[in-house]
Amino acid sequence: MNNKVKNRLYIFLVTSITVLILGRFVYVSLKKNTVYFFSPTELRYQTEIPNGLIRIGGMVKKDSLIKRKGNQYSFIITDFKNEILVNYNGIKPNLFTEGQGAVVEGKLNTRTNLVASKILAKHDENYMPKEVADALKKSGDWKKKYGK
Amino acid sequence: MASNFANTILILSLFSSFLSNLFFLKNKTYLSIRFFNFSSFLILLSFGMLVFFFCISEFSISAVYENSHTLKPFFYKFAGTWGNHEGSLLLFIVIVALYGSFFSILYKDISKFKSWVIFFQNNIFLIFLIFLITTSNPFDMILPKPSEGLGLNPILQDPLLVIHPPFLYLGYVGFSLTLSLVLAALVTKKLNNSWANICWPYVMASWVFLTIGIALGSIWAYYELGWGGYWFWDPVENASLMPWLSGTALIHSLLVLKVRNQMQNWTALLAILTFSFSLLGTFLVRSGILNSVHAFANDPERGVFILVIIFFITSISLSIKIFYSSKSINKNTSFFSKESFLNINNLFLLFFLFVVLLGTIYPIILSFFGEVISIGPVYYNTILAPFVFIFLLAMSYGPLLKWSHDNRLEKLHFMVIIFIISSLLSLTIILLSKRNELLLYLGLTVSMLLILTIFYEIFKNFRSKTTFYYPRFLSHLGVGLFFLSVFLNSYYSETKDFEIDVGEVKNFNNLSVRFLNHNVYKIDNYLEMKTDFEITENNKIFNLKPSVRRYFQPEQITSETSIKPTIISNYYLAINFPDLNSTTIGARYYYNFFIHGIWLGLFLIILGGVFSVFKKRI
Repeated sequence: MNNKVKNRLYIFLVTSITVLILGRFVYVSLKKNTVYFFSPTELRYQTEIPNGLIRIGGMVKKDSLIKRKGNQYSFIITDFKNEILVNYNGIKPNLFTEGQGAVVEGKLNTRTNLVASKILAKHDENYMPKEVADALKKSGDWKKKYGK
Repeated sequence: MASNFANTILILSLFSSFLSNLFFLKNKTYLSIRFFNFSSFLILLSFGMLVFFFCISEFSISAVYENSHTLKPFFYKFAGTWGNHEGSLLLFIVIVALYGSFFSILYKDISKFKSWVIFFQNNIFLIFLIFLITTSNPFDMILPKPSEGLGLNPILQDPLLVIHPPFLYLGYVGFSLTLSLVLAALVTKKLNNSWANICWPYVMASWVFLTIGIALGSIWAYYELGWGGYWFWDPVENASLMPWLSGTALIHSLLVLKVRNQMQNWTALLAILTFSFSLLGTFLVRSGILNSVHAFANDPERGVFILVIIFFITSISLSIKIFYSSKSINKNTSFFSKESFLNINNLFLLFFLFVVLLGTIYPIILSFFGEVISIGPVYYNTILAPFVFIFLLAMSYGPLLKWSHDNRLEKLHFMVIIFIISSLLSLTIILLSKRNELLLYLGLTVSMLLILTIFYEIFKNFRSKTTFYYPRFLSHLGVGLFFLSVFLNSYYSETKDFEIDVGEVKNFNNLSVRFLNHNVYKIDNYLEMKTDFEITENNKIFNLKPSVRRYFQPEQITSETSIKPTIISNYYLAINFPDLNSTTIGARYYYNFFIHGIWLGLFLIILGGVFSVFKKRI
């Protein structure tokens, strides 16, 4: 091999190793920081309980919102088939009330109990986070309630 | 009537643009440019008409009916023109045309090169004009004429948000001219240093506009969203950051082309990439794929159309690039040279771009397979942080080197000295504040290293009275200050969330908050609750008066934060709207340390860019 080819081979090797290491690094962080979304029904049929940060979306069940000491709340998220009890410590975001859609983020305590660290207050014009609408559509309860 | 007239103008503009293409193919350069400018005049006229219709609330025009209301203040009637899909697309097209016409006026030499530039620009214009007319015509007629419009999304009724989209568009679309310039240079074999000089001001101007657009969005998020932060790694924000990153890489490779006549192919590739990312940004934001205030087009057909346009423009450009590209001139340069560090800059920026791109589109791709996920901000922060350290190190050292070859040892000695100084400074800061954290230490050290190096360079330049590279000094100083402030802000800021009743006092360590009173006012189409809080922090007493608005139809809540600025920080309070029959409100209190540094840093970056537009040689 002459010098030029050697040089190129060297550059090629260094580049590919760097790219591989970087790719692996990015991939691992991406996996680690992925927050999966479940509807209560989907969560019920998970074979393994997810142990990282997850999001759950559905409707806040009527008459389920209870205020405990300080800023502690508990309420039930439902997709009209299955329910999750949510405990939340923090301030309630705007437009978060019973009978409306919500997405909560947190960690599962048991299969049916989530300790939420965040309530996402994003809404579209139908007062329904997009994920919640999709989750409800999947559970088959969308048509009955919203006629779409 | 109004609709017919406006539509006629649109069609005439389309026709004139076709004629421009026709004359180009017949080698009638002069006429081709003339007709392009004529259609650009017509499109500007039609945009003027749309603005006029918005101002006089002409509800027989669909875009006006759907997005305006007689009760709106005049300013927002006017600005509502681009607060919707159709109007903003028309604005997009107007800017494509104006960039082309500006070039045709400023670049006097009527040559083959110029006619090719106008040809490419004309075709970008044409593609979007066809898109506008077929899928999103703002001038569709509504009969009978409605007596009232549907109104504009209240969250968009903010002065900052009014000027934010035009700036962003001036940036995004400016890169269309860069693309045309590159393609024309490829076809006419003119991709060299004198070409780089020609396109420098246009690239810089687009970059400056894009930076201003992003900065305005960030400032708006800080004041209006009420979450205390300035950047949330929201996909919508990322969409504008991606073209910015590749545009920044483009500027730096263009610099090498300008001075050393090297990196032709790379520069061409970056120019194509930058405009593609501009289009991708527009697509992501406007198509409704991302759930946000920016998503105007809920019609999936339009989303698909934009996607096809992106694919079409990118693949045509790449084919031209591959077909016409000649070998870059390879000069013998050592690793210790300005250009090799500019190369490093490019690689880093592209890596950042890749990280942001992945985090933004990975959830979108998965969503097609029915899996809903989101990527937390931790992803971006953990990946980017270590690379930002190295990036800033290289950014301090690289510019000190000469072009081509340099004596590495002399400059290295110097760097070591400055490194020790900044490292001692940041050590003092973290020890005094008792925040012994490695990341903070590294962050402060490298950003101060950059700042000190530039101060040293400025000092040296003043003494030797050689050329003064003030655009770079300003922008890089801005970057140093920006990162210094980001690190200080993220480690020394504080947040408190609490619920509080009227008359109640909440006590925290050295902070106490007293809720004095609240009043609810009914104004036009919203309720506004104004409040008064007394804050005592470290024996300082001041009042904060945040308010919150509840709009009806569509129901929406916007918060007006209350901020008390001091020299080094912001005291920031935002509140939620209380439930009915209750006076308890949720409040978010933020102590934002060194936030001014972030704005000042951005300002310096922009200022450097502005100077660079008007500076002939570096």
